[in-house]
Amino acid sequence: MGAVIQVRGLRKEYPDIKAVDGIDFEVNAGQIFSLLGPNGAGKTTTVEILEGLRDPTAGEAKVLDVDVTKDYRRIRERVGVLPQDFEPFDRLKPREAIDYWADLFDHDLNEEQVAKVIKTVGLTARADTQAINLSGGEKRRLGIAMALVGDPDLIFLDEPTTGLDPSARRELWGVIRSLKAAGKTVLLTTHYLDEAEQLSDDVAIMNKGKIVARGSPEELIGRYGHGTTIVLAEAGQAGYDALQARGIAATLENGNVLVHVDDISQVRWTLAKLASIDMPMKEIYTRRPTLEDVFLRLVGARMKEGVLAT
Amino acid sequence: MMRILADAKAFGKQYLRSRTGTFFALIFPVLLILLFGAIFSGSGSSSLPLYVQNLDGTPTSQAFVFALNKTQILIYNPIPADVNITDFIRENSVSIALLIPAGFGQNVSRAEAGDPSASVTVTLYGDPTQSSFGIAASAIGGVITGFNFNVAKAAPVVHMATDTISERGVKYIDLFLPGIIGFTILTTPLFGMTGICAEYRTRKYFKFLATTKLSKAEWLLAKIIFYVILMFVSVLLILATGVFVFHMDGTITPVAVLLILAGTVEFTSLGMLLGIFIRDQETSAAIANAIGFPMMFLAGSFFPIDLFPDYLKVIANFLPLTYLNEGLRATMILGNDTTALVDLAVTAVMAVIFFVIPARALSWKSK
Repeated sequence: MGAVIQVRGLRKEYPDIKAVDGIDFEVNAGQIFSLLGPNGAGKTTTVEILEGLRDPTAGEAKVLDVDVTKDYRRIRERVGVLPQDFEPFDRLKPREAIDYWADLFDHDLNEEQVAKVIKTVGLTARADTQAINLSGGEKRRLGIAMALVGDPDLIFLDEPTTGLDPSARRELWGVIRSLKAAGKTVLLTTHYLDEAEQLSDDVAIMNKGKIVARGSPEELIGRYGHGTTIVLAEAGQAGYDALQARGIAATLENGNVLVHVDDISQVRWTLAKLASIDMPMKEIYTRRPTLEDVFLRLVGARMKEGVLAT
Repeated sequence: MMRILADAKAFGKQYLRSRTGTFFALIFPVLLILLFGAIFSGSGSSSLPLYVQNLDGTPTSQAFVFALNKTQILIYNPIPADVNITDFIRENSVSIALLIPAGFGQNVSRAEAGDPSASVTVTLYGDPTQSSFGIAASAIGGVITGFNFNVAKAAPVVHMATDTISERGVKYIDLFLPGIIGFTILTTPLFGMTGICAEYRTRKYFKFLATTKLSKAEWLLAKIIFYVILMFVSVLLILATGVFVFHMDGTITPVAVLLILAGTVEFTSLGMLLGIFIRDQETSAAIANAIGFPMMFLAGSFFPIDLFPDYLKVIANFLPLTYLNEGLRATMILGNDTTALVDLAVTAVMAVIFFVIPARALSWKSK
């Protein structure tokens, strides 16, 4: 598969900050590629350079073999864009909005074609509802539908699920997977680690303008997510204190006590030891490393709603 | 062209579905003209000084003056019989004056005797653009009616004529209507476009549009097409109100059509020009108000510029709305297309300048 996006030494500097600090990556055709990182990591700046909306300070940015800093017009019709914090035009209905947006690309869609785009994102039942009355998830789906009007080869989705409830997020994941199934290349930015892990073929973790790790979720977990985590569900502070008293390193997270075991051969022994300690807990289970663990290891902090925990 | 029409259509749908926009574009100007018209033609309760030159001097004319004074609306002030009334008005800054001609009493006496040809006309001098003129005219009209019934035994012997002491001999409502049209052409696109620029910037629609084939000039043209249609509908409603409710004499001439067109382009573009400096809804409202409100008053939408002090007249000459208002008055009310064409030329040139600057300078991209 050929590279749809090629980025080399890309930099974007402002007087007070290096928003993008010399990054390199490629995105292959048919992939879902995620730029993952906290707010301010440089994800949106990178994407907007690739969308022709910002000029880089230095470096090379090619999309569909075109230098976007010079000739974005040539590929405009082959690229679909869902901007960050997308809000549709309040008083337009999805059917009208898609027809309108297609006209702006000189695509004169007939009713059947409009209906097909609406169906792709699962908005058929709401096609004639003014956008102001759509839910948050439906609005984002409308945004994706607008990005699809020209049947693009490449789709930029800039934090498509931010601010949505878990149910709406999962519905949107289904839509994004269907884009890949239809052969589209998707560049996704997100600060949701589970989203990147669930959807991506390839992930670049960004922090402070740099890419700190790059690979498929499995590769990243294999490379950086050493060991196994034993979860003492709902053990709480009492469980945490009990382990501390016995000199067992643990962390308390959302009421669960987590014990990290580096050597897989020690998991069974540790499990038995923990089970023998008298403390309140709902259940005990092991969890394989996730991108969250990778992120914690690489960045040194957890991330919640795009903000690094201090 | 497809992109422009698509954008105009989509924008129009959104605009008309937002009841606020429709209200201010179509209903508010009509309410304004009804309100001002009602104030103008209604009788007020406060007393007005009425200067009267009685060239008749008979007991009959003195009784007429007494009746005027008794209305409690008008306070009688005499003008000596040996002075020229227009000179007196000018030298004493009199706003309303009444001339009772010689022969007033004689004609009333002839009417009382049954002479059907008896007739006398009193002349009211004043500035029809002032509401006091209308109040005085209404009060004097009432006295004349009563006088004809009670003194001349219902014979319509006394009549009233009006004479203007402003430069243009037109009724207030005639002057007011083009002003309201100019006001609407200023406010609807200007306030609308500044608000749209704020919304498009805060909701990142400009960035979104920048990913399409639509250019900034096409986007602006689409807005202009919509506002031109909207303004012509609004003008028709304003005119219909003026003609049917206040019996105005204004006509839509070809030059007026061109002025409305050029004015709409001018102020839609000015709104986008101001949009360059707008970051959010607060700055949008502040900038639109700071530009729009002084202009609507200083450009003579509600008061003729002739009445302004000299320094305000100088300021008015620099305001684009002045030329639209003056041009519309010249062609619609005074039938003076020569003057109107000069105003049209100024308006058209400003429209082009205002269009070109934002089409080039407004950036949809991020820095």
